[in-house]
Amino acid sequence: MSEEDVKEKGGSDSWSAEQVHEVKKGDTLWKIAERYYGDGSLYMKIFEANRNILKDPNLIKVGQKLRIP
Amino acid sequence: MRKLVLLSVLMIVVAGLILTGCSKVKGQAEAALKAAEKVISEAKPEAEKIVPDQIKAVEAALNGAKEKFGKGDYSAALSDAQAIPGKVKEMLASLKAKKDELTATWTNLDQGLPKMMESIKSRVGILSQSKKLPGNLTKEKFEEAKSGLDNALKEWETAKESFKGGKLGEAVAIGNTVKEKAAQVLQILGMPVPAAAKS
Repeated sequence: MSEEDVKEKGGSDSWSAEQVHEVKKGDTLWKIAERYYGDGSLYMKIFEANRNILKDPNLIKVGQKLRIP
Repeated sequence: MRKLVLLSVLMIVVAGLILTGCSKVKGQAEAALKAAEKVISEAKPEAEKIVPDQIKAVEAALNGAKEKFGKGDYSAALSDAQAIPGKVKEMLASLKAKKDELTATWTNLDQGLPKMMESIKSRVGILSQSKKLPGNLTKEKFEEAKSGLDNALKEWETAKESFKGGKLGEAVAIGNTVKEKAAQVLQILGMPVPAAAKS
């Protein structure tokens, strides 16, 4: 996992271990899943965790902040 | 002859007075010791769990007073026994402060730790389905994280049992250990360690 490409931070809650990924140019859910889970085929885990902001797993926007479960 | 009789009577009266006074002090000391024992026995069950050192000190003071009583030093026994309820009162004030502090710490742990461990469980569950682990995580490290999580979950149950049993100090101590272990697992998994788990 490249530290430069990945922006990680906790949530506002002081106990939250939630990992957040800010979408960069060229990112896809598959690539993000590969980065965090080592396996792109698990991209639906990220999609499901972000259904509140994502309507389609193939449509993510630069700057979107995605929860990584 | 008359003087001798008077002197004898006087001596008998004085001796009687001394004996009566002595017997009175003995009775007062006995009553004070009983009262001290009672306040200690009432405070002991909770004090043993929260301020064990202080209850031991108060019990030592009671034993000291009993020892003096046993040696016939009733005045000293009375004085020492009469001081015990005050010491118990101080201990109870200290117990309350400690209990409030431990309860606040426990409440904080109880609100945060389960949430933190849920995040770890979720990630471990997903990584267990992965065909290949991410670059920053070896198979060995992943196994270490899984066993760390299992231990943390088990210990958290122990902490909750201690809390239910009124052992606040023990519950908080175990809770803090769980917090440290969970933070280590988060680091292994490359996940952010929450601010509350860093302190």
